[in-house]
Amino acid sequence: MLTRRAILKHGTTATVLTTAPWWLVRKAHAARSAKLVVWNPAALAPQVDKIMQEQCYAYAKQAGIKENEIDYQIIGGPQLLPKVVAALEAGNPPDITRFIGGYAQLYREQGHLLDVTDIVNKMQKVPGGLFPVSLPGVMHQGKAWAVPQSVSPWTMVTRMDLLEQAKVEHPKTWDEFIEVCKKLQKPPKLTGFGLCLGLQNDTDNNVMNIIWGYGGKLVEADNKTVALNSKGTIAAVQMIADMYSKHKIIPKGAIAWDNTGNNKAYQSRQVVYVLNPSSIYAHLADSDKELYNVTGLMPIPAGPAGAIEELSTAEWLLFRHNPYPEVAKGLAEYWMAPENLRVMIEEGDGRWGPPYKGMYDSAFWKRPVFRHWRPMLERGRQFPSPGAMSPAAGEVLATFTIGRMMHRVLVENWNAEKAVAEAHKKVAEIYARHQKG
Amino acid sequence: MARKMTTQRRALKGLGNGVLVVMILWTAIPFYWMIVTSLKYDKEIYGYEATLIPQRPTMANYATVFRETPYLLYLRNSVAVAVGSTILSMIIAVLGAYAIARLNFPGRALLARSLVFTYLVPTSLLFIPMFALMSMLRLTDSLHGLIIAYLGFDVPFCTWLLMGYFKSVPVELEEAARVDGCNRVTALLRVVLPMSLPALVVVTFFSFTHAWNEFLYAYVFTSTTSARTVTTGLVNFMSQDVFFWGPLMASTVMSALPPVLMFLVFQRWVVKGLTLGGVKG
Amino acid sequence: MAISTSTTVSLPIPSSRREMGWGERVQRALTHDRTLGYLFLFPAILVIVGLVAYPFASAIVMTFQAKTAGAPGRYIGLENYRELFSSEQFLRTVMNTVVYTAVGVGVKFLLGLSMALVLNQERFCNNLFRSFLLVPWAIPTVMSALNWRWIFDDASGLINNVLVRLNLISETISWLSDPNLAMLSVIVVVVWQGTPFFTMSFLAGLQAIPKELYEAAEIDGASVLQQFTNITLPRLHPIFVTATMLSAILTSSAIQFVLILTNGGPADKTMIFSVLSYHLALGGAQRLGMGAAVSLIFFPVLVVFIVFLTRRMLREKGE
Repeated sequence: MLTRRAILKHGTTATVLTTAPWWLVRKAHAARSAKLVVWNPAALAPQVDKIMQEQCYAYAKQAGIKENEIDYQIIGGPQLLPKVVAALEAGNPPDITRFIGGYAQLYREQGHLLDVTDIVNKMQKVPGGLFPVSLPGVMHQGKAWAVPQSVSPWTMVTRMDLLEQAKVEHPKTWDEFIEVCKKLQKPPKLTGFGLCLGLQNDTDNNVMNIIWGYGGKLVEADNKTVALNSKGTIAAVQMIADMYSKHKIIPKGAIAWDNTGNNKAYQSRQVVYVLNPSSIYAHLADSDKELYNVTGLMPIPAGPAGAIEELSTAEWLLFRHNPYPEVAKGLAEYWMAPENLRVMIEEGDGRWGPPYKGMYDSAFWKRPVFRHWRPMLERGRQFPSPGAMSPAAGEVLATFTIGRMMHRVLVENWNAEKAVAEAHKKVAEIYARHQKG
Repeated sequence: MARKMTTQRRALKGLGNGVLVVMILWTAIPFYWMIVTSLKYDKEIYGYEATLIPQRPTMANYATVFRETPYLLYLRNSVAVAVGSTILSMIIAVLGAYAIARLNFPGRALLARSLVFTYLVPTSLLFIPMFALMSMLRLTDSLHGLIIAYLGFDVPFCTWLLMGYFKSVPVELEEAARVDGCNRVTALLRVVLPMSLPALVVVTFFSFTHAWNEFLYAYVFTSTTSARTVTTGLVNFMSQDVFFWGPLMASTVMSALPPVLMFLVFQRWVVKGLTLGGVKG
Repeated sequence: MAISTSTTVSLPIPSSRREMGWGERVQRALTHDRTLGYLFLFPAILVIVGLVAYPFASAIVMTFQAKTAGAPGRYIGLENYRELFSSEQFLRTVMNTVVYTAVGVGVKFLLGLSMALVLNQERFCNNLFRSFLLVPWAIPTVMSALNWRWIFDDASGLINNVLVRLNLISETISWLSDPNLAMLSVIVVVVWQGTPFFTMSFLAGLQAIPKELYEAAEIDGASVLQQFTNITLPRLHPIFVTATMLSAILTSSAIQFVLILTNGGPADKTMIFSVLSYHLALGGAQRLGMGAAVSLIFFPVLVVFIVFLTRRMLREKGE
């Protein structure tokens, strides 16, 4: 006969057992107790990651936020996008994160970002002001929706020692470049040009840079008329295909590289040239002084239409889902305050170019290795040039349209005309969709 | 005639041993590379200086894992989720399996059939709506959420496994117990469960290793570091620094140990469990 | 109080419900099969409905919507499906998934059978060998994938390293980015990880075959081959079918291998439906409805397998 006691006893046991799992995890539940959630993509130079994290914690201290109220994560490049997308879907994106130019406009259009006009106005007041190129990626109808973080020229990161050894000059045109690579490379151990051809942002930027040199472009200055399909673009695509398949100066594995692929290749001394912002150079400062000392940051070779330099910008994106927006804004301001930025950049060995014109007058930037930078910052163009950064351009970048175009040619053996025509159609469709609003 | 047989047999034996050697190499070499990489310095790992046998073995990578990543946290999370989902699914499955195996009620056959169907629905199909569901319930970025999510696979599978096993426990034993004064519940606890110990072991093994090894849900549902498990924490370590394979392999070696050890210990039962589970011989 | 051995209620029935004490009520429930049955099953049913049926239904609904992350979906009818079926990438994904699954399962089957036959032979330390050969199956899939990605690495991976040292190749082989080799490389990893499952199943089956049958056959003069075809194969047939179908379902829907090794590339050469679904939903395009649609289109194929398998498994249990 079941007594009340028996029921109680068995009932308690059952309850305890069933709730045991919850006891185990009670400390681990990450409810939003954090006042500051930072998703900082890896800078690919560990000393920079460290500095930024230290600065963040210093800011928090000064803002009266305890360490356990901060959720600071350093995220590998390829994981950032899926994570942010998933987080947006779950309704809890981070308070602040960093994206290369283009994404800010995309997320702004979707209504996810905070108005940070006040911060940007303050930045404009810094002596010298901001580079004009920092603004198109964040401005919309007079307001700023992201905080400009850096302006980075894409230089040819070069093994100067190999050039010296073989007594060759840095090539001025792409044709010369191909010859130099063929001369210097020693397959399989050393290949000429670590051009990124995988499906991620580096590729789209690299390839577009070369397309400009041949007179091609993504979209016209009106930001509506897609202009990808042209003789220039086709010629550039063909030239890259030749570099890969005919001249074999690009490592075969480049078509599968993620955003660390070209960094790795250069830092393991497997390539002579890489077209990249200064992440490689900064990493070497800490990891390989020998290689650091023989690395040059050279201008890009010229195509028939000239040597057009490329710039990319990066921005801090602040999501509006944040219950403590002032905290995130304060962090962005802190990081971008010239004194703090100077530390980040100079102790970070030039990982990025600051967006403030005035900062380039320092001794750090006057070093010979950076001699090509300053002019590039004035002359360089951004990805959709002559168009400006916009949600559509952001989507073109985010879906790796240019990279896919190259894969059609390199992997599926399409001819350049067909691949370019298809890419043109895709880009036009994206622009049309964003036109509709 | 008899001699021909022996030669044939001997040849087969030789062939078998040859194949065995190949199989062992095939299995062992990847393990070797994983362990060896975890013991090498960067210079020996990358580029054309890469060595096949470490010249200067080092535990530095293991130290890096603990220093640069919250590996202990990931470990704790994996354990919590694995143990939690195992306990919970065990309770639910035992009750459910007993009901289907012994109790008579309408809808019983239909339920039995739908169980098999249910655990065969792949996670790659459910992860998007599951993610939406978890977001709605505010269970993302939490270990609770993962435990609950894993039940979706564990409960049907374990119920089905146990159902088969319970059926094989002789009814007479239970009836004898009930003559002695047990009701259904006590009969279950005192007679059926002890006799089903092998099945319970198998169920524990499957639930635990499923939770420990699971990747997709953990990857999509959690993003804060504090909720990451060993499987998903590793992937984040990729692309953070340009040179990571040493520490990555070190953490891989460590993370693979628990399920492997569990498997080695419970092997015999696991195989039997699979057999009972419907892959009959 | 009479206690019967049947499964029906046997307590003396109080004249009215209100007269039952608390303990008696519970007692009654605990001995009444139907109530108890539903009570015991309640948690399991809750799980199945909440964590399988509901997400499945909402997946279907999602496929008819245009949905980006963080925003509610907008109904667009069959648009997602129309776009998928006219998409070259999708059609290629279908082809890839079929090839990947067929070859993967096929190779695993053959290797698993060989391993099982070998392990079934008597030899010294057989148990040790068996334990070792089955270990790959216990490792988390992600870890095998990571390990093999490193083994296949262009410059520093094990395979290229050895081949270059032995002077067998002058240029490293891009196992994971050469369009002709990528799928093969992925399948190698799938086979490495999954063969033990077949080995285990087949071995269990082999060991259940009575030795007397073989002895009798040998006395009758049957050759080894004949014994294999006439005794072993028929006996293993049920396991062959079950294991193959189970593996087909699991292999085709696995995401980790492709995601870690090639991410669907190069140029979608290794894109299978699970990875495509992931990219569409969580990649730059953020189209969750499309992602769900991709998975759902494959589901009918899996259903055929699942139903077949379900019936078979239930039949064997004597349902």
